[in-house]
Amino acid sequence: MFSSIKARLALLLLLPLVLFPSVALAETPPPADKVFVLAAGRNNDGALRLSWTVAPGAYLYRDSLKAALAGRDLALAPPPGETKDDPNFGPVEVYHGAVALTLAGLPASGALDVTYQGCAESGICYPPVHSRVDLAALTVAPQPRASLLADASPAPLTSVSTPSAAPADAALAGSLLAVIPTFIGFGLLLAFTPCVFPMIPILSGLLVGAGRPSAARGFALSSAYVLAMASAYGLAGLVAGWSGANLQVLLQTPLVLGLAAAVFVALALAMFGLFELALPSFIVTRIASLPVRGGTLGGAALIGFGSALVIGPCVTPPLAAAMLYAIDTGDAARGGVALFALGLGMGLPLVLAGTFGARLLPKAGPWLAGFRRVFGLIFLGIAAMLAGRLLPPPAGLALWGVWAMIAAAFLGAFDRMDRTNPWNARLTKAAGLSAAFYGAILMVGAAGGAGDPLRPLAFLAGRAATEIAGLPLTPPADFDRVFATEASAGKPVLVLFTADWCTVCKSNEKILAEPAVSARLARTARIAVDITDETADAEALMTRFRVVGPPALFLLDADGREIPGSRLIGALDAADLTARLAAIGA
Amino acid sequence: MQRRTFLASATATLVLALGAGPALAAKVTLDDVLHDPAAPEGGNPKGDLTLVAFSDYNCPFCKKAEPDLDRAVRDDGNIRLVYKDWPILTQASVYGARMALAAHYQGAYERARHALMSITGRGVSQDDMEKAIAAAGIDMPRLAADLEARKQDITALLARNMDQADALGLQGTPAYLIGPLLASTLDYNGFREAIAEARRKQAGDAK
Repeated sequence: MFSSIKARLALLLLLPLVLFPSVALAETPPPADKVFVLAAGRNNDGALRLSWTVAPGAYLYRDSLKAALAGRDLALAPPPGETKDDPNFGPVEVYHGAVALTLAGLPASGALDVTYQGCAESGICYPPVHSRVDLAALTVAPQPRASLLADASPAPLTSVSTPSAAPADAALAGSLLAVIPTFIGFGLLLAFTPCVFPMIPILSGLLVGAGRPSAARGFALSSAYVLAMASAYGLAGLVAGWSGANLQVLLQTPLVLGLAAAVFVALALAMFGLFELALPSFIVTRIASLPVRGGTLGGAALIGFGSALVIGPCVTPPLAAAMLYAIDTGDAARGGVALFALGLGMGLPLVLAGTFGARLLPKAGPWLAGFRRVFGLIFLGIAAMLAGRLLPPPAGLALWGVWAMIAAAFLGAFDRMDRTNPWNARLTKAAGLSAAFYGAILMVGAAGGAGDPLRPLAFLAGRAATEIAGLPLTPPADFDRVFATEASAGKPVLVLFTADWCTVCKSNEKILAEPAVSARLARTARIAVDITDETADAEALMTRFRVVGPPALFLLDADGREIPGSRLIGALDAADLTARLAAIGA
Repeated sequence: MQRRTFLASATATLVLALGAGPALAAKVTLDDVLHDPAAPEGGNPKGDLTLVAFSDYNCPFCKKAEPDLDRAVRDDGNIRLVYKDWPILTQASVYGARMALAAHYQGAYERARHALMSITGRGVSQDDMEKAIAAAGIDMPRLAADLEARKQDITALLARNMDQADALGLQGTPAYLIGPLLASTLDYNGFREAIAEARRKQAGDAK
């Protein structure tokens, strides 16, 4: 099943004729009725005998064998099969090679309809085969494949036969429940960005008014403001989600991705202090001079709704990111809920300030600068993520390496430190150093052609596997030299083809490592050929020994001729292998 | 290389003539296979390579290959993935395909497909399929409504898929049409290699 890719791919011929199916078949799997061949006969006692021949590499499911006489299913007693237990398949009984069963008490003439089904280890499952057995002539005639569609009787959903929306709604709510806190969290983060945070005391003062009314009144007013603002966002999210299907394609274009990445880089630079982003002063003055001083609930709500639209330039990009999420879901309700939650999160500190007064909130100070840096890094990360979709994976990985380096620099990884530095500065520097180290690894990985940020050095491991089951791997070019050494004793040499990407080879290694096998292997001259890289040498060697792909195992006599019948392809069987090794005296 | 010569002699357009069978009159073109407007799609709609996946919800190999297919398509980022439900193995497969295609009307085909492909085994019952779909957060009343209202469309799409599979000479599930290449079960590296090979062939064709 894991033979060389080229052997497993069949070229579809682009020819406008009948030739097409036949040529395609030359390389695609043979049809089911050639793989599973049914024959019928009579035993001496007159019982009908059905026997199947199963092509090598294929297997028939025991529970798939069915026979019907005049539309009535017969009880069959097929012999026990081999149990095949694969995590993907669950335990099933199958037949390899051949299987036969007898049916007594059938009429001397008439037609018996037989159905059977199987798969091939090469990774294909065949549709059920239908055959008709003439009980008098004992001939088997293939029947056209029954379209399952034909029997597609109305398929009502059993669980919703009565339209009860409860389960579906619960499921929907389940995933939404995760969306809401996430976006409230994002909103809260946004509230602490430098150009929103200073506005909070102003706004709360404005809403609650000079009179300093009760906490309840303050709570009501600020809540009205926040709910209105969140509704405005929610509305935007609703529209974004609703239009999502149309915009998604647009958002995948390199131009849009590139522009978005550039905007995020610019914003990151602003966060780092290259230039200042703030709410334009004319808006601040305008808000301060609004006639709702001491306000009413309606007035507060009105400002809330309006302010959502002018909340400030530095909230725009995260807001845009949230909109992108909404668009990406293509689900209006979800987009609306997400952005509503975002607005709610942004407004929470305001409600707090409105209810208890601004003194509860932390004062703007050096921590805000730290906050800006964190945001700058997040923006840069988003830019890297967007740019990564445009770049080949290694280039994207290198970008993340650069990002980690920048993060390290901001965390003070390269700052000088002496014994007077407090513990928190040391921890921060340690985090920075880790980021620097990770960044360096990512860059090395990128240089090595890796693309996975979690396994940037996996390409090293690929090369590190230099032996299997205590057997050094031989590059194809060295085959003849190694063979000469191994064959010098005049005994047969076991040749094994393996490759790093071949998963069956991995499970074979376990078999080879089993004590009974490895003891015999140790007494056998052997060569493991590594064909991980499809070099010309590898291809030549594969052609020479007619190996379509790994894993393949066979014996060569001392003169380099393959010993007939010694070849094993695919997954190994410990008992089988031991027997073969024993046969050559190992 | 024999296959290369085949390709060199190939023409740019493809008309698949059906072999034998009752549907002899039906003509299936490659364009029908690649651009069936009703067929659900995944991956990158603007991808430079189209991968068509023929599969059955009771086909263990399909289920085994599906995560690798997903990952290969995602990692590549430039593949248009066309889903062809080709229920040939069990009656429940047809049911699963109908549900997945009905879910398409609420934009949830891939979610439904993922749910069905995640149930291991080859004898998954209709009930279990339905439970998996419901657990995946599909709007079930809507699904039931679409199953009924869109029954003709879904049946027609499944029938087209069957005709196309026959025209392509497919013998069983899964079958992946990767550019000009046809393959059955592949692992992750297999998909990546096949994709690379298909791009090479496509590039060769364009010249």
